[in-house]
Amino acid sequence: MRCTIVPPHMLERVVHDAEDPALRDIARRTLALSAALRTERRTLPVEPPSPTEDFVPNRTIADAQNQEVLPGETVRGEGAPATGDTIVDQAYDWLGVTFDFFEAAYRRNSIDAAGLPMISTVHYGRDYDNAFWNGDQMVYGDGDGVLFNAFTGPLDVTGHELVHGITQYTANLEYYSQSGALNESVSDVFGALIKQWHLGHTADQADWLIGEGLLAEGVNGKALRSMKEPGTAYDDPRLGKDPQPGHMDDYVDTYRDNGGVHINSGIPNRAFYLASVAIGGNAWEKAGRVWYDTLTGGTIKTDEDFAGFAAATIAVATGLYGADAAETRAVQQAWAGVGVQA
Amino acid sequence: MRVKVIRSGGFAGIEKRGESDTASDPLLRRLVDRVDLGAVPPPGRIPDQFLYDIDIDGDTATVGEAQLNGPLRELVHHVLGRPT
Repeated sequence: MRCTIVPPHMLERVVHDAEDPALRDIARRTLALSAALRTERRTLPVEPPSPTEDFVPNRTIADAQNQEVLPGETVRGEGAPATGDTIVDQAYDWLGVTFDFFEAAYRRNSIDAAGLPMISTVHYGRDYDNAFWNGDQMVYGDGDGVLFNAFTGPLDVTGHELVHGITQYTANLEYYSQSGALNESVSDVFGALIKQWHLGHTADQADWLIGEGLLAEGVNGKALRSMKEPGTAYDDPRLGKDPQPGHMDDYVDTYRDNGGVHINSGIPNRAFYLASVAIGGNAWEKAGRVWYDTLTGGTIKTDEDFAGFAAATIAVATGLYGADAAETRAVQQAWAGVGVQA
Repeated sequence: MRVKVIRSGGFAGIEKRGESDTASDPLLRRLVDRVDLGAVPPPGRIPDQFLYDIDIDGDTATVGEAQLNGPLRELVHHVLGRPT
């Protein structure tokens, strides 16, 4: 349910006075989304870097020492030697790979395109099964060791979280419903591309999995999501079955998880996979360029839906390669393949 | 009173559910007395944070992890420790 045109004072009223608890909850959620529009976003244009400038990362790794505190104690800064704590050093290295990817592939200087320092807190909480971007930094749990390993392990998890920061500074896709699923999807898309770039995999060679290595030994699953075959990543008695759809026919309507942002992201994820394999070669070069320019180009709305995002990618592909180019046809057919009418 | 908690969201997007009843759970009864679902702030929009849907006898609220403090935090973790 969307009610973005309802003025905030009316929502406040519903939150406090409505008799129906479900209605109160919807109003509260909508208010939260409105408030979130005021979150940090770069409003001044970024000075374009000189074509030869070598971008340099600025990493800080902090240790929460198994408490749920942020940012925690700094344990490794930029250029400092390895600490010997594999979690700390892995987080540091993956931030470096992610930074280098965006410089090499798209000439982007960090999260905000202006060299923003990257901060990660590790050892967050106890048996903590999550990683997130809190608007300013990345946060990683060590996992419980039974279902999940440490979230610092897979490179694409770091890529995914850092790209939430890039999205915040660019398209700022609202983290709810279809725009929220697109926000999730672009984090998966670039998370996967960073891993492919790091491994030197073409679209055909890549596994297109998200979070491979995150599920502990004994869990029946290969990863958390599959961009190639959404819904097939895991099926385990303790975790349930991967709920992702790969086509609009199976779109899941739910209010939980901000309107199913981690579920319906399977649809645009698969569209990206289809475009990448149809174009062939290194996915970050052409399909990735189209998605990157769409995300950062300033043409999509913060509450863009799948159809609007699809139309924007086709417009970008047309601008880059021409209306009749194979690349543009591949993007059009990819969206048609998941049932999104651009 | 029946208390249900559903955790959604998180990087993994995997739901977790718990349920208990104050009639057979004295710790829960004391926690329920100390929480006010009407005073919970909106969940905010933090990518990949956990969201908690809390239902106390039909009275519901959604809480973001960043706002989960005090007795409500104790209640959520207590109930999630009793999977359905």
